[in-house]
This record gives sequence, structure tokens and C-alpha cells, in this order.
Amino acid sequence: MRGPDPEPVAGPAPRTIEGASLIGQRISKLDAPDKASGRARYIHDLNLPGQLHAKIRRSDRLHARIVSIDTSRAAALPGVHVILTAQDIPQRGLGVNKDNPALKGEKVRSLRDEIAAVAAETPEIAAAAARLIEVQYEDLPAITDAAAARAPGAPLLHDNKPGNLALTFDYEHGDVALGERESDFVVEDTFRLHYVTHCCMGVSGMIAEFQPNGRLLLYSNTQVPFLHKREFAEILEMDPGDIRIIQPPIGGGFGSKLDIYPFEPICVFLARAARRPVKLVYTREEEFIASPTRQPVILTLRSGCRKDGTLTFRTCTTLHDNGAYTSWGATTPFVMMQTISSLYRLPHCRYHTDAVYTNNPYAGSFRGYGNLQATFAVEQHMDRLAEAAGMDPLSFRLKNAQDPGETSLAGLHFRTCGLKDCLRTAAERSEFPVRHRRAAAARNDGSRVKRGVGMASMLHVGGGAKIYPSDGCGTILKLDDFGRVTVMTGASEIGQGSETVIAQLVCEELGLPMSAVTVVNNDTDITPWDVGVHASRTTFIAGNAAIGAARLAREKILRAAARLAKSDVDSLDLHAGNIIRKNDGEIVMPFAKLLRALHFSEQADLVMTSFYYEPPSKHQDKTFKGDVSAAYAWATQVIEVEVDTDTGMVRLLKVTAAHDVGRVLNRLGIEGQIEGGIVMGQGYAVTEDLVIENGVCRNPAFRDYKLVTAPEIPEMDISFIETMDGEGPQGAKGVGEAPAICVAAAVANAIYNATGVRICALPYTPERVYRALHAAGAG
Amino acid sequence: MNSPAAYLVPASVDEAAGALSRGNATVLAGGTDLMPQANQGVRVFRHTLININRIAELKAVSRSGDWLRIGALVSVTDLLQNSTLRGICPMLAETADHFASDQIRNAATVGGNLCNASPAGDLSPPLLALDASVEMACHRDGRLQRRSLPLDQFFLGPRRTALAENELLTAVQIPLPPPRHYGRFFKLGIRPALDIAIISVALAGVLENRKLNRVRVAFGAVAPTPLRARRAEALLEGRILDEETIRAAAQAAREEVTPITDVRASAWYRSEMVSSMMRRLLHEAAGA
Ligand SMILES: Cc1cc2nc3c(=O)[nH]c(=O)nc-3n(C[C@H](O)[C@H](O)[C@H](O)COP(=O)(O)OP(=O)(O)OC[C@H]3O[C@@H](n4cnc5c(N)ncnc54)[C@H](O)[C@@H]3O)c2cc1C
Repeated sequence: MRGPDPEPVAGPAPRTIEGASLIGQRISKLDAPDKASGRARYIHDLNLPGQLHAKIRRSDRLHARIVSIDTSRAAALPGVHVILTAQDIPQRGLGVNKDNPALKGEKVRSLRDEIAAVAAETPEIAAAAARLIEVQYEDLPAITDAAAARAPGAPLLHDNKPGNLALTFDYEHGDVALGERESDFVVEDTFRLHYVTHCCMGVSGMIAEFQPNGRLLLYSNTQVPFLHKREFAEILEMDPGDIRIIQPPIGGGFGSKLDIYPFEPICVFLARAARRPVKLVYTREEEFIASPTRQPVILTLRSGCRKDGTLTFRTCTTLHDNGAYTSWGATTPFVMMQTISSLYRLPHCRYHTDAVYTNNPYAGSFRGYGNLQATFAVEQHMDRLAEAAGMDPLSFRLKNAQDPGETSLAGLHFRTCGLKDCLRTAAERSEFPVRHRRAAAARNDGSRVKRGVGMASMLHVGGGAKIYPSDGCGTILKLDDFGRVTVMTGASEIGQGSETVIAQLVCEELGLPMSAVTVVNNDTDITPWDVGVHASRTTFIAGNAAIGAARLAREKILRAAARLAKSDVDSLDLHAGNIIRKNDGEIVMPFAKLLRALHFSEQADLVMTSFYYEPPSKHQDKTFKGDVSAAYAWATQVIEVEVDTDTGMVRLLKVTAAHDVGRVLNRLGIEGQIEGGIVMGQGYAVTEDLVIENGVCRNPAFRDYKLVTAPEIPEMDISFIETMDGEGPQGAKGVGEAPAICVAAAVANAIYNATGVRICALPYTPERVYRALHAAGAG
Repeated sequence: MNSPAAYLVPASVDEAAGALSRGNATVLAGGTDLMPQANQGVRVFRHTLININRIAELKAVSRSGDWLRIGALVSVTDLLQNSTLRGICPMLAETADHFASDQIRNAATVGGNLCNASPAGDLSPPLLALDASVEMACHRDGRLQRRSLPLDQFFLGPRRTALAENELLTAVQIPLPPPRHYGRFFKLGIRPALDIAIISVALAGVLENRKLNRVRVAFGAVAPTPLRARRAEALLEGRILDEETIRAAAQAAREEVTPITDVRASAWYRSEMVSSMMRRLLHEAAGA
């Protein structure tokens, strides 16, 4: 629980023999001093000797055949070294459907399409040259509406994709027709989810350099360095072993850096052609226009329950606007299906998605991966059904919530499950039942400013997600003669604090202070394999890998100590940088001294260990069933809002959140993660809107793309439900995505509670809310 | 972005006006409009860039006779913090409190806000409601000349003003508000600050016995220029602020504005908000 927290500590708390531990302490992020003081060197700050700067020339048309590209005026500009067009590089498609060649030669399909690229002495020259490239187009009819794209006779974006269908997903359990017959109440709505984008403070970027020995060195912001080695190798027709990826500190990822995008191979091809290092970093405007968005979705949900509140069935169909090319956004149904099928106990379920090509921007992965969209729909229906059945939202959810040990019909096995505790805790701390009743009763009291509370819960993977052949992570530990530990982990730090938590878990095992650890996590030539930062997996998977390696080191050290001190291994322990006797805490010898004794002895040895952790989860079968994660995270958030009916302005007053996190490892870190996630969810719900009109982004700047700023951040009350997951590192589960997921749904329910008007489209900008109130006669 | 060929930093209004009289110059105050516009390529620097920030006279706030004089370089932070200003024109402080962020407020100037002539510029409605005039200076016949113009004649269109190419805006002059003067500013944006107004409105007058006299109503972001709602003013003048008067004035204001639809809001919503915010401000005045 929040409240009387332990005092902040600079280093670790002093440990007593009884075992005060680092777990649950408030530990500052290891990279905080560098970042807070502006000393972190992001990719923007890196410059290699001889480096050129790249600029991409993008399409001016939504959908057109390229008739000709004339680069002669651009090439004549002094300072221009290389200009590439499609004919200079292999036409190999990137992305999920391999439909996205890095440079487009025949056709453009959206305004972000890459047509040519320039490498020049300065960014200004590169930009000027890119503008001088003359492209002749022959316009084709454009489609910017997903429903229209599916209509018979609609122009095709990709010749080999009939019906403009990029991907489809189908899932089913039980018999929804039977479920509907058994229902006393049925509700149906169509929900419209908009475009938003990640807004990483560190925009996309890369520096590519071919080394004299032919190897390729990439400085990259990617969240998936090891997967990228393989991807780059394929595109560049290189041996993956010849690619080294170094990640400078990454200024935020949130999923945006999870796929390979055209700019990356473009940068490498420029470097290859120029025989010079090439740097390509987006401008903010480019980041808005050409980096991925969250998946926009039109979702129709039909749900039913019995008189007593038991859920009977759900049918969900979604239309995903795939944009012109297929990146991870189109695969969000993997996660959406879990929420539709398994957030509550549900006997009958059917799910269908069509992802269709349009000439709009394409979506990528984004914190929550479809779950914000699915939860927005499901949790509003929980409230609607509760109301229909004459129950309050809390009891209705409790009735349908699952218990530890249950397996959902989609095959998700909940070894631990804190949903009921989350529901009760959030409701109790927010006084939800009385406030909800009071607000509903006061709806028609004539006041212009109304208050309401809304509740929503969520389910998300919390123990990795077995999507790739392996969901594992490797760790190497190196202990030196001075008792210092270097942890080499495959897990990338993208601002989420994984580096700190990994160090903390290692220190916990080895009885060392945080100051004894260095984490190396950004160089594929050094660190062992990891699948990447996604699916809230890093603390769980990389944490378990780190613990595994630390335990091997601990064993080795204790065995050596027992040998030297001529005592029994079981009688010794590691504590505060020493080897101690377990029974009385007496120091046997300092940790560093033992390492030296081991090193400079007859059987000279160093303590170095490695461990690879693979979670015991399973791949889903062809019907999308299976226990895909080693643990599942749960949460309930209650949000109190104020709705100004004169303007439609919605203000968030208070968020009461209860999260099943398994166990709190770094309290400061997890609070930051949850607070940040809530604010991101708030932006999605209320202020952020990437306006795409007829394929054109109308607000590619922070002036009109509105992130939440400090004054709008509501009061937060965060409770941690510690279910101590048996598989988690020290009992913890993943929490990276969870806090953002149910904010919009809770806000939707709160607006309804305040006004009696349900609004099924986001975001809740003043105009949208005002219009809805006006239409309902409540404004 | 192009680069200016010459850069001047005059120390006096006379010097600046002299430089301006040679033509082909761009004036730089806080730069918070000029620089983003130049970076975006929507604004081109002329031959000479004249940085006016070292002209002490332009930073002064002074009272003389029945007038308050606010130098063109007075910053938005000054509007919030200068005690003379706060005392005389609390409405300007209220406006400044919804203006941008601290960093921008420190740099942004009153003169720059008016010369930029954005229909959504925050300082225009309250200054219109305070009957402000602008003072301009130029060289004519080799001599420094000053003229004054009521602010409501200053705005000619979006980004167009009555300022001549060779003129410098030197100050804003406000008649000292009479006793019982009442003034409120309201800005509607998605965020409470750091946002461009969807609409803004200023209401001022002498408030006595639930009646407003010398009523001024001014709107931003609802027409090509910031504008006075004169019909609404006439309907309110001297009347008890009862339901009927308030409704009539709100309706009149709505008919006086000509908003557009853009990425921030639709014309319909802006019109609705004009009457809605008008009603709210008038109800507050009635209860004050
Ligand atoms: C992030 C951000 C947020 C903003 N938020 C707001 C907001 O909330 N409300 C708002 O109203 N504005 C806002 N602005 C716009 C801007 O800050 C204001 O309009 C500001 O008052 C401009 O003043 P300045 O001194 O920076 O003008 P400058 O940019 O220096 O100049 C603006 C224009 O006026 C001319 N000029 C300036 N001074 C004179 C003079 N004395 N004589 C003749 N010509 C002159 C310049 O040549 C230029 O054309 C914002 C801007 C940014 C970048």
C-alpha cells in the first residue's frame, strides 16, 4: 500500500541478519543522475568522425504510380554524397506481411512513403537536396476509410491482397448462439478508437557504420536488438553475425521501436554507398508523420448476462485500419482476444478481426498492444450489463471475476489472480459504491458541473508472452577482484527502469550494496540474447535470468568460502559485502577478499556465471488458445471525473488504482511506472488525438497534439496487491503496460455516471463530450 | 529557414526607428512567434533582423495622469508579477495565468502578441475590453514621430495590423479603470495552460447593483481578428444582469462572431461556446 512508505534510501537499506532486504525498497534509477542532469548521451548527441547526415524524401501523394524520379538537381547540390532510390537497393518488403519495401519504386500508398534518400555533409544540405528531388506521379484513387476499403470494387493497394485484406483473426469458444439464448440482458455497441502516437522524447534515429573488416555497426534506438540483427541481415543479405547493435540511452520506446522501419535499412544502404558513417534522426514533425501510431479500431461488441449477473457470451468484431503497410498494429488482436475472452469468466465467446489496407498511416505496437481498445469496450459493457441486471458495477464484476487456479476457456492459466482484491481495494479506497450512487442520483440536479466515478479492470500478460520461438533472456555475471559485479543482460533499458531492478535482484542474491553493480545492456557483441522489450516482460524474464546467474555465483562463492573457512556451506551466507556465519552474523571474510583468494590460488579461478531463463509458458495453438504467459497481471482503477456540461470539458480528479503486481521490487520504480502509465492512459482518454483527415496528418506538432501536462495530472492513490507469483522474480509480475490499459474505460464509465450519457468514441475532448451531451439533451 | 543578412541591436527607439526606416527589416522581440514561424518556413526573415530587446524604454510600466503605459517589451511574466499592473489590471494577470508555459511567458512580450495579430492571441480580448490603444513610432522627415491608435482599429485581418513597415510598436496605453471596475477573462482550451484558445472572451465594465456600465465584451479565435461584440455590449449596458438579459446578450454575441472549423474545433462548437461562456461570465458577474 501507498501511505507510510519506508523512507527513501540513497543506497540500499542497511541489512540486518534477520534479513531486511532490498526488495520493496525505494531505489533511485541508476541512470537518473545522468538523465536528470542532461549528461546522458542520446543518439542525437553522438557523432562519428566523417559522418554524413541523411534525409528521406517522402511521398506528396496518397496513392499514385511513380512515373519518374529525377535526382539530378539534388545531386548537383554541393555537399551531397549519395542519393538512393528504389532501383539502388533490393526490393524486399519489411514488416509482418513483408509488404513494405524500404524505398518505394513503383507506387506510393501513403504520405509517409519513402521514395528517395540523401546522405550529405550537413542535415540542412540533406534536407535541401531531398526537396530538390523531382517526382512525377500518376494519381490513383485513394481510400482512407477502412469500411470503404473492404467494399467490392474498391481500388487495391497491394495487387496480391484481394479485398484489401491484410490480416484476419478468428477466435471462438463455446457457442455464442446458445449463450445469447440463455441471456436475460443483451447489449451491443460500436466503439471507435482513434489514432494516437507514442511521442517519445527521443525520436527515431540510427547511425550506421561499416567497419574496415566489413562488419556493420549500428547505433540504434531499437527495443529489439537481437531480433533486428536477423532482420537487417536478411534485408542487407549479410550474415547476422556481422552485425553489431549498440543502443545509446533510449529516450522512450513504448512499443514504437519494436519493428524494423524503412528508415533503418535506408540509413544502412546510404552508409554502404557512401562508405562513411551515416546518421539519420527524425525531426519531431517527421516523428509524428512517419513513426507508427496506436492501432485505430472500430469495434462492435455484443455481450449478455443472466438476471443474476452471470455473464453468458460476448461477440466481438473489429475493423482494423491497417494503413498502407502491415506493422505490429495489425496483430493487436492477439492481445485483444485475451481481454474479450478471459478478463472475466465467460462461457461463450466469438471474436473476429479484419485488418484492411487503406492509404492512411500504419500502426505499430504501443504500450497495451490493443488492450486499451478492447478494455474500453468490455469494461463499458460490464457497466451496461450491471445496470441492466440492477446490480452495482462492483458486485457485477466480483460475480464474474476469476479466482487463482482457474484456467480461462482461452487456455490462460491463472496461477495467481488478484482481480478480486484489486476490485475490492480500489472500490474501498475510493469509496466507490457511495460515490457512484450519489453521482447517479445527482445527475439531474441542474448543476452545470457534474461529478462521477467510473471503474474498470484489466488483464494483461505479466510473465512474458511466447510469440517468438523463445521468450527467454540470458545473463552473464562477472565478479572482479574488488567485489564488484558486472551484469551483462540482453534486456534493453528504454527508460522503464529494468537496469535498476536487475541490479537490485543481483545484489539481493549476493548481499551486495547497489553501488557494487554495473549493468551492461546495450551491445549485442557483449550481452547474451534477449527477445526484446515488449509484453511487459523485462522485469519478469530478465529478472529471472539475472537471479539465475546470481544464484550460480552465490553457490560458487559460498562453496569456496566453506572450503577456505573449513566450515559447512549451509552455515554461511552473504550479507553487506561480507561472507557471514548464518547463526550469529559473524563476519567470516569480506566478499572481495574471498574473490581474490579464489583468483590468486593454486586452482586459480574467477567467478563468472551465465544463465538463460526460458519461461514455462506455451505457444498459442492455431485457434489462439494456450497459456501464453508465465503469469498474468490484473488491475482495477476507479477514476473520479468532473464534467463541465457548459463546455464538455472533462477533468480527472482522482485515480484510485489497485494493481496485482505479484510483488513490489523497486517501490520508487513501480510507482513511477504506474503513475506514468496512468498519465499515458489519460492522454489517450482525454487530450491526445492524432488527426488524420483523408490520409493527411493535420497536427504533426506538440502545439496541436496535446499531451497531458503537469496541471491536469490527477491525484493518485496506488495500492499494490502482492500475490507473490511463484514463477516471478522474487514473486513479481510484469507491470509495464498495465497502468495505461483501463484508464479510458474507467473515464467512460465515470462520464456516464456523472451525466447519464455514454460516449463510445475517443478521445473525450470538450467538443466530443459537449456534442454528445447536446445530442442527448443533457447539455 | 532563411538567414537574415544583417543583425542590429539598437539601444533606443530612435535608433530602432531609424533602422526600420531603411526598410526590408524584421523586428525580433521575444521570438516566440517569429522563430517557430521561421523554422516552419511560413515566415521569411527580411534583410535585416532588428533585435529590440536592449531598448530600456520598451520594458517600462508607468502611470501618468489617467493612463497606464505598458512598454512593448513587457513580458507575460511581468503581467503576472508586476504589482502595479496586477493592482490596476487584474484581468491581465488572469489572462497571463492561462498563457503558455513559464519559459514562454518569460520571453513572450505584449508587443509581440499584438503585432503577431493571431485571431487567437490571448492578450487581445482583455486589452480590447480595457479600451487600450497602441502607441507606434517611426522616422518621418528624419525625426522620430509617435502616433496612437485604438486597439480595435489595429487588427486588420489574420496576421495583419495597422502597423506600417517602418513602424515600431512602442507601448500599450490603458485608461486607468474607474472604481468598481470589473474584468474577467476566460480561455477555453483542452488544457488549462500551454494551449491555443478554442475561444477566449473578456468581459469588463463598471459593476454596481448587478448592473454593468461601460460594458466591454471581446472575443478571440472566433473571427479573422480579435473582436468587440458591440451588440452584446449594447444589450447589457446599464441593465440588471437577469436571466433574460444574459440570454439575450449571449445570443447576440453568438450572432456577432464568424468562427471557422479547424483542427482545434468546429465552427459550431465555437459558436456554442461563445454563448455558453458569455452566459457563464455574466452569471458570475451577476453574483459578484
Ligand atoms: C509553446 C508556445 C506557447 C504559446 N502559447 C501562447 C498562449 O497561450 N497565448 C498566446 O496568446 N500566445 C501564445 N504563444 C505565442 C507567442 O508566445 C505570443 O504571441 C507572444 O506574445 C509573442 O511575443 P514575442 O515577444 O515572442 O514576439 P516575437 O515572436 O518576437 O514577434 C512576433 C511578431 O511581432 C513582431 N514584433 C514584435 N514586437 C514588435 C514591436 N515592438 N514592434 C513591431 N513589431 C514587433 C515581430 O516582428 C513578429 O512579426 C505561444 C508560443 C509558443 C511557442
